[in-house]
This record gives sequence, structure tokens and C-alpha cells, in this order.
Amino acid sequence: MSAKSMQPSFGLKLASGSFLAFWCLVAAFPIFWILVMSFKSPVDAFNESALSVIFGPSTLATGKGVSALDILLLIGIVWLTAWITTKRLPNLVRSYAPAGAQAIGWGIGVLALAVMFLVLMLGVAPWITSSLGPSLGPLGRDIIGFTTEHYTTVWVDRGFSRNFQNSLLVTAGVVTISLTVGTLAGYGLARSGSNLAFWILIVALVFRALPPSVLVAGYLPVVINSAEWLAPLLGENAPTLYGKPWTVIAVLVAINQPFTIWMLRSFFQNIPAELDEAARVDGCSHFQAFRRVIMPVMWPGVITTGLFSFLLGYNDFLVTSLLLDAQNQTMVPAIAGMFNMETTTTDQVVAVAAAVSITAPLFLLVMVFQRQIVSGLTAGAVKG
Amino acid sequence: MKLKHLLLAGVASLLGTGAMACSFENTVPLKSLSAGFEAWKVVTDAMAECGNFEASLDQEFKEKQPAAFAANPSLYHIGGVANATLIPLLNEGTIRPLDDLIAKYGAGIKPNQMIKIDGKTYAIAMMVNAQHLMYREDILNDLGIAAPTTYAEMMAAADKIKAAGVVDYPIGGTFKTGWNLAEEFVNNFLGEGGEFFGEGNMPNINNAQGMAALEVMKALTAYMDPEYLVSDSTYVQQQFQQGKIAMANLWASRAGAMNDAAESQVVGKVTMAAAPMGSAAPASSLWWDGIVIAANITDEEAEAAFKVAMEGLKPDVIAANNDAAVWLVDGFTAGPLAAGAAATAAAGARPYPASGPMGIMHTALGNGIAAYLNGDKDAATTLADIEAAYTTAAKEAGLVK
Amino acid sequence: MPFKTFAAFVGPSIFMMLLFIAFPLASVFSQSFHVTQPVYEIVEVETCTPGFLTQTCITEEKSVPKLDENGELIKIRRFVGLQSYANVLELGRAKEALATGSWQAFQNIDFWKALRFTLTFTLITLPLVLGVGLLIALVINNASARVRGPVIFVSLLPFIITPVIGALSINWLFRGDGILTATLEWWLARDIAMFAQAWTIEILMMLYRVWHVAPFAAIVFYAGLQTVNQDSLESAVIDGASRWQRLRYVVIPHLMPLIVFVTMIHLMDSYRVFEEVVGFSSQGHVISLQWLTYDFLIPDQAGNRSISRASASAMLTMIGIVLLLIAPLRRTWREHKGGH
Repeated sequence: MSAKSMQPSFGLKLASGSFLAFWCLVAAFPIFWILVMSFKSPVDAFNESALSVIFGPSTLATGKGVSALDILLLIGIVWLTAWITTKRLPNLVRSYAPAGAQAIGWGIGVLALAVMFLVLMLGVAPWITSSLGPSLGPLGRDIIGFTTEHYTTVWVDRGFSRNFQNSLLVTAGVVTISLTVGTLAGYGLARSGSNLAFWILIVALVFRALPPSVLVAGYLPVVINSAEWLAPLLGENAPTLYGKPWTVIAVLVAINQPFTIWMLRSFFQNIPAELDEAARVDGCSHFQAFRRVIMPVMWPGVITTGLFSFLLGYNDFLVTSLLLDAQNQTMVPAIAGMFNMETTTTDQVVAVAAAVSITAPLFLLVMVFQRQIVSGLTAGAVKG
Repeated sequence: MKLKHLLLAGVASLLGTGAMACSFENTVPLKSLSAGFEAWKVVTDAMAECGNFEASLDQEFKEKQPAAFAANPSLYHIGGVANATLIPLLNEGTIRPLDDLIAKYGAGIKPNQMIKIDGKTYAIAMMVNAQHLMYREDILNDLGIAAPTTYAEMMAAADKIKAAGVVDYPIGGTFKTGWNLAEEFVNNFLGEGGEFFGEGNMPNINNAQGMAALEVMKALTAYMDPEYLVSDSTYVQQQFQQGKIAMANLWASRAGAMNDAAESQVVGKVTMAAAPMGSAAPASSLWWDGIVIAANITDEEAEAAFKVAMEGLKPDVIAANNDAAVWLVDGFTAGPLAAGAAATAAAGARPYPASGPMGIMHTALGNGIAAYLNGDKDAATTLADIEAAYTTAAKEAGLVK
Repeated sequence: MPFKTFAAFVGPSIFMMLLFIAFPLASVFSQSFHVTQPVYEIVEVETCTPGFLTQTCITEEKSVPKLDENGELIKIRRFVGLQSYANVLELGRAKEALATGSWQAFQNIDFWKALRFTLTFTLITLPLVLGVGLLIALVINNASARVRGPVIFVSLLPFIITPVIGALSINWLFRGDGILTATLEWWLARDIAMFAQAWTIEILMMLYRVWHVAPFAAIVFYAGLQTVNQDSLESAVIDGASRWQRLRYVVIPHLMPLIVFVTMIHLMDSYRVFEEVVGFSSQGHVISLQWLTYDFLIPDQAGNRSISRASASAMLTMIGIVLLLIAPLRRTWREHKGGH
């Protein structure tokens, strides 16, 4: 049978190609646009003419701009980073990290990459432009208004790095605990044919359907007064749960449990039960079978599910804004705070810069894990 | 180059702190919870100079404050409140009278700053805020229009500006559905001399004054950007800065932004004037923001908190940030930017009638008025529906029998 | 698997869900049948507030809640039956409006207005998300291997971006003379205000949701396409099946479990539509059920909140979702029974 008859016709190819191009434009444009806005002065950023936003005349007028050389360098660095992330990093990690520590290998790899990116952007590129720029004539002259002052404001003056750390702490906590608890439950549910298992799933689904704002508002007084009602149990040391990252982690893990156990259950159902049954015949208990036989093959599904937990923890606004105080605030409520009632236009552009900053780690994450997501899903992490 | 900048900034901030440094070393750990706008940032930054002080400038403060102050011990020592947000703290008895502390440490406080309930001072006001008229003096002068003093004059001026083709939408308004829209109604209703409640907290807006307020609002929308139902103060301020509108009844706290060269294209062209007169008073309401001290803390903590708060309201702090707000504190020089607020108060604008029932009424108004402006309901039905929504909520809260 | 082992595996997860979801849910359920109020007394109070230069003092009657001897608010909790539900549903008014045959009057009642929008939103975005998602998946699957990686990456962007920021960025593009509105105005040579009437806002909200969720559907379907049985595709070609017929009779049946999965997730999420209402500040024109709940729930500036109505409205929202989910769930039940 020839592959030819399965080949699409030219018309279809053209149509699907242009649809793909259109979709990519639609998908990327808003994000591209806030990236552009974040580098302009407030007057340019909210200008109604697209050209003013892109070229930033009033930003340029204040003496802040980039030359063609800068732009070429920028494109080069971004391309290099993307290339290493997608093409080289997976192989490097596979060959250098010991078999059991792939995850740590990934962490180190990504960190090294981020450091390299920052060194190139903040160290090497300015050095090249300042030494080469004047000798290049028109290539070295500023043509597009461009300022990084909003990023300085966000990261230096507003102390956004503290919010960043808090976000990392909350997200890491949510992903780890959510996956640990969820993997066990997902496996148990997949291997139990009892009606109880089914009803647990259904109830979990109904839980997921609850409007979260209702639940969260119920937590607030309990969490704020925890020192009082925990006192009989813990005495003097009863903690105030309000404002503590651990409270938020626990709440987010619980809210995310239904989705996690649903995904992991369908994933485990696709791992043949014969595998662990064979191990049990050899004298393993259920837990031993889980650890020895299932754990080595479960990573694709776990990574995919973990990514969803990551998104939930990282992007959450409702829970974090209500249950954390200013000292432990994560990035999303911090940004929303910049947009609140009493903001100025400058504040808004600063918030745009913060919004771009918060999106960058997501970018990197998807770039690195893209393949794993697809293979995890293919292996059956989702299935009715 | 970069390093030099940083060094210079560092030196400047050191000099700055030198000038405003706290007069004592605070040893009691203190926390504050307030809204996040510029004036609070100024004041809490100055308080932080005293050491052992953490400020939460939180946009959810409205929701957190009552619960956090009701905890025992209170999670925060100092609170930032306004007319309305004082009510829940007062009702639940979670803030303390300040009279003895004022006698000891509050020599610089003016009588005007003390918020007194039955003779006891519960809060120290630091600034006032009110909506008042801002207009583009250059446009009005070019067309030979006198500064409008009523909404009728404002709309007549808008007609001329529109006819001359200077801007598309001569009037801006903070008509965003919800709190902002309700506040506009409150302004106009007070301007018509209305009283919101009758005997037993029963609603009293479905009357001639209510109708008049609604009609003025609808008439104004004809001169506004058609997206008025999503335009909040920041948006109106932006429209001003970009030269898209010529007049608006906007918050005094926004006046400074008109002359901010970094974002405004109309520096020096916007003039502040009294809010348009209604038939009884200016169409505006006076707001204040100020400081309270929690009740559920030790007396030592309260004393330290009060002393730290006073450091935040020192004359040199205020003088250094003169345009951040219309301050009530010594050290403030009322410049042209404060002229509008002063004129509005002088013309007899009433304070915002904050109370428990008013909180419910404000929400009901914010949700209900859009239907009239959209043309979904007539004025009488709108007002009747708002009264019904108020009554349902007030019954649930126990305020109406 | 013996029950004890099962319990050990599932225990921690169940415990967390009980503590943080079931327990609050029980309290929401009970709140919806009760009201909790402070006891007010009317007293004469003198209040002094600052003016610009001088103080204004007003003496008036105010409702002040009573405190007990410890300085705590006295609150009484009363059983009110279905009163809160009646207050949310406003059945009397709804009946009256329907009797006069006035859709407009019916749509002026908050709950029914919110229900109308929520259902429209859910039922219109569902086929769009499934269709667009499937289309993207098919096109990516047929694209050459070299572009596949970058295209999947770009496609995932709308899905991973923080929702608050996604809504805001769309907002800037269209708000006032936002860049896309300005482009549209230039192209159509007329003045356009996207946020000035209900239908344009509704379209924007739906477009945003499809933009945000379609990548999720696409990536799930794309994963499913990797496991389509090539043999049955080829035998379909031999039988002379057209491209459309192959899609209809081989690919879609294969993807069916995934379509059900995406449908279920999407029904749940879009029935709880909320971010869009806040992000596009559409309250003046359209509201959703979850927004209504939220509006009851958040305290006004004087600290009053309608907990009972919020609870009733939350319970009603939940019932709505369960009704919508019955059809896809029956399938899961059959599978569960058949699979073991």
C-alpha cells in the first residue's frame, strides 16, 4: 500500500499551512504585545497607534533606545538559548545525570541555562555594543525606543525577587505534595474495581465543580483565628496559619487533588495490571510492587500531571491573595496589586513588565518539558 | 555607568533618610495593614525608618482587616482606614480610643484630624479626598468658555467643545459598574440634598432627588466615551493625560498625575475647580483616610504603634511629598492642585455618609444603575429595584426588620 | 486489592479533600439554610469627621451592634429554611415577568440573567473549543516534523499564561482605542467601542476563553492522534474512504474518550466562568453565576456580606454543574463496570 494515497493534496497543504500560521499568530500576539509594551515609556506603551508602540518615539526622545546591532544580538541570544534548551539539554541531562536523579539533572541544567542567558544578556551583549557600536555608523545608532527601567523598578525597587521566591516555594510545595499524595491515590483507584473507588472519583469530580471562591472565603476566618482555636491542642506555640506559605500549599493541593487523581488513575489504568501482579506473585506487598515495578515506568504521566499542578500553583490568584500577607505574597497577587484602584499609568507599565517577568519561567518550563508533556499524554494520562 | 547610577541613588536615599530619620529607635515589633495607594506608601515608608516595622499595603485589606483585627492578639497593630472601612472595626470594637495616647504623644495633631465618635477619638485622619471638577483650561480659554460651575454649564461647554471638534468625548467620568458608579450616584444624590435612609434604616432613594441624580448621570454619558461602564479613575486619568477629554469630576488624589511629565501630555493645562453644584450642595462627598490602633494588643504595643504612626505623619515627611495627597497634617502647603478639593469643601460638600446600611446601599447602587444607563429599565423601576435589593440584603444582615 | 491496602493508598488524598473541601462544603450547605446576624440597637451617636479646614459633627440615630461583656459581637443564628434560595431565585418576580411575556423584565433579575449568560457561554464555547482544538491537533499532526516542535510550543502559550495576565493583555488590545480596536476602526472606517454593548463583550469573553482553552484540547487530541491504529487507517484508504470519512469513522471514534474528558473539564470550568467577568469588567452588561456568588460573598466597604445568599447561590451552581455532567459521567460508569 503506497503512502501516496495518504498524502494531502496541494490545496489542503496550503490551507492547513495557512491555518497553522494564523493560529500561531493568534496564540502568540497578545504575549508578544505585552513584551513590546514593557520596554516603552508610559506614553508610548498605551499609545493608540501600533507604530508608536513598536518604535516608541517618546521613549527614544528621552535617549533610551536600541540599535540594529542590539536587536541582532538579542535575537541571536534568544535563539541560542532556545536551541540549547530544545536540542542539546535533553541529551546532556540523559548522559550526565545518574539514572535515579534525572529530575535533579534537569534542575541543574535549567539553572545553568538561565545563568548563561542572564550573563549573555546583561554582561556580554552590553559589552559588545558599547565597544563596537560607535564604529558601526548607522548600525550602531538607536532606532527603536527601548528602556529596561520598568524591569529595574519591578525587581530592584519593588522587591519582586521576594515575591518570586515565595512563588517558587509555593509552587514547589504544591507540585511535590500534590504528586506524592495523588500518585498513591491514583494507583489505588486504578487497581481497585470496587464501587467505592468509582464513587470516590465521582465525589472528587463534584468537589472540583465547586466555585472555589466560596471555599476560600470559608477558610479566611478559620485561618486568621487559628492561634485561638489551636491553643487547646498546641498550647502556647499554636501558630497563626494566616500568611504562612504552608497553609496556601495545603489548600492548593487539596483543591487540585480531584484533577490529579483523575489524570493519574487513567494513566495507571494503561499500565498493564499484570506487571504488578507478577511482582506480587514473587512475594512483594502492594507497596513494594508499587515502588519496584510501577515507579520506574510512571514518570511520563507524573511529569504531565505535575505540569498541571505547577500551572495551578504558579498561576493561582484567589487563594494566595486572600491567605498570604504582604511579607509572603506570591507574584500574581503582587501584580494584581499594582493594577488596583489607585494606580497611575507608570504603575501599569511597571505591572506589564512584572507580567512579562512572571511569564518567562513558564516559557522556559514548556520549552524544556514540551516533549514530556506530549509523551505523557500519549501514554494515557488522560482518558475519559 | 550603571554602577555610578546605583551609587548615586544609594547616596541620595541615604541623604533622604537622614533628613526624615525617625526620632527614636523602635524596639517593639509592629505591623500595619492598609490600602496600597501612594499616600500610604509615603507614610508607611516613613514609619519603617523607626525599625521593627512591617507594612502590608494590601488591595484586599478591606476583606482582611475586620477578621485580622478581631483575632486575639490582633494580627496588625496599626490600620489604615477611610470613612467607610472604619465602620466594621468600630462596630466590632476591635480598635481602641486614642485620647490618652494623643494627650501623651500627639501634640502636633490638629483638632480637625481627630475622628470622634461620641466624644472619643478613634482615628487620626491624615488626608481628605473628594471628587471635583478638573478641566483643560487651554481648551476652554480658546473657545471663550467660562469655567463651569454646574452640570448644566458643563454640558453646554461640552457641546461647544464637541462642535469645535477639539476632542471627541469632552467629558470623562468614573462610571465603572460597581463602587465607582455608585459613588457618582452618591455624589449627585447628596448634591440634590437627598437623605439615603428613613426611619428604621428603610431606603429612601426612590424620590425626586434620586430621579434627578439618575437623569444627570444619563445626560452626562452622551458626552462620554461609550465605554463609560468600564472606565475607572485610572482610565479617566489616562484619558486626561492623553488629551482625549476636556472635563471630568475626578478624585483630588489624581490631580498630581496631570502634571507628571513622564506620563502626561497635558502638563500644566489642567485646572482644578469645585465640584459642579447640585441644587443643594456640590455633587461630591468628602472622604478621609487615617490611622487606627488595634484594641487586642498590649498597652505597650499600642503606645509604640502610636509613636511610630506619628513619625509617619511628621511635617517634613508630608512636606517632602506635598503633591501625593491633600494632606490634613502640618507641613502641607495647599498649592493649585489642592484648590479643587478646598473649593469643594468650602462650597458645602457633605461627608460621605458612612454607616452599616450605607455599605449595603452602595453595593446595591453599584450593581443596579447600569441597567438604567443601558436603557434596560426606566428610572423609577431602577430605583425601586435598587431599594428592593437593598432591603433583601439589609434584612439578611439584620439591619432592617 | 484488599480494602486496607486500598485505604492506605487513597487515605492521604481523601483526608486532604475532606478537610479542605468536604468540610467547608458542609458548612456552606448548612449556611444556606441559616442566617447569622448581629443584634442591632438604635442609638444616638455624634460623629465628627474632617473637612478641608474645619470639622463637621453630625448627631444622628445609628444602628450599632451589641457587644457582650468580653467585647465580642453578639451573633444569633437562625434557621430560615429555603428563604435564602428564594431570595436568590426571586421566583415570584420571574413568574410575573414570564406571565407578561417580557423577556427583558425576566433578564433584569440577577440570577436568571447570570444563568442565561453562563449557559450561553458554556454551550457556545464547548463546540468551539473541541472543534478548534481538534483542527489544530490534526494540522500539527500533518505538519512536517521540523515545524512541529516550535508550533506546539507556540500553541501552548495561551494555555500556560497566568489567566489574570491573559485577560488583561486581551483587555489592553481592545479597550478604548486599544491597538486591535484601532486597527478594526481603520479597516472598517468607523468608530468602534468593544466595551460599550453587551454582545461585543460577550463575544470577546468567549473568544478569550477559546483562545485560552483550545490549546489544552489540542495537545490532548494531538497525543491521542499518536496512537491511532495505522492499520485501520490504511485499510480505510483501501476501501476508498475519503479523508473526511477516515476522520469521521476512524479518528474521531478513537479520540472519543479524550473528547469526553475535555468536554467534562470544559463544562465544569466554563460553568464557573468568573475571571472573564472581572478581567473584562463586564458587570454592567453581563454577569455569570460564579460572579453573582462572589458578589454576595465579598464584604462591602462597611463589612456586611450576604453569606447565606452566597451559600445558596453556590449550592445552585453546583447542582447546575452536576446536571450538566450526568451525560458524560454515565459513560464513565459503564466503562468502570465493563473494565473489571
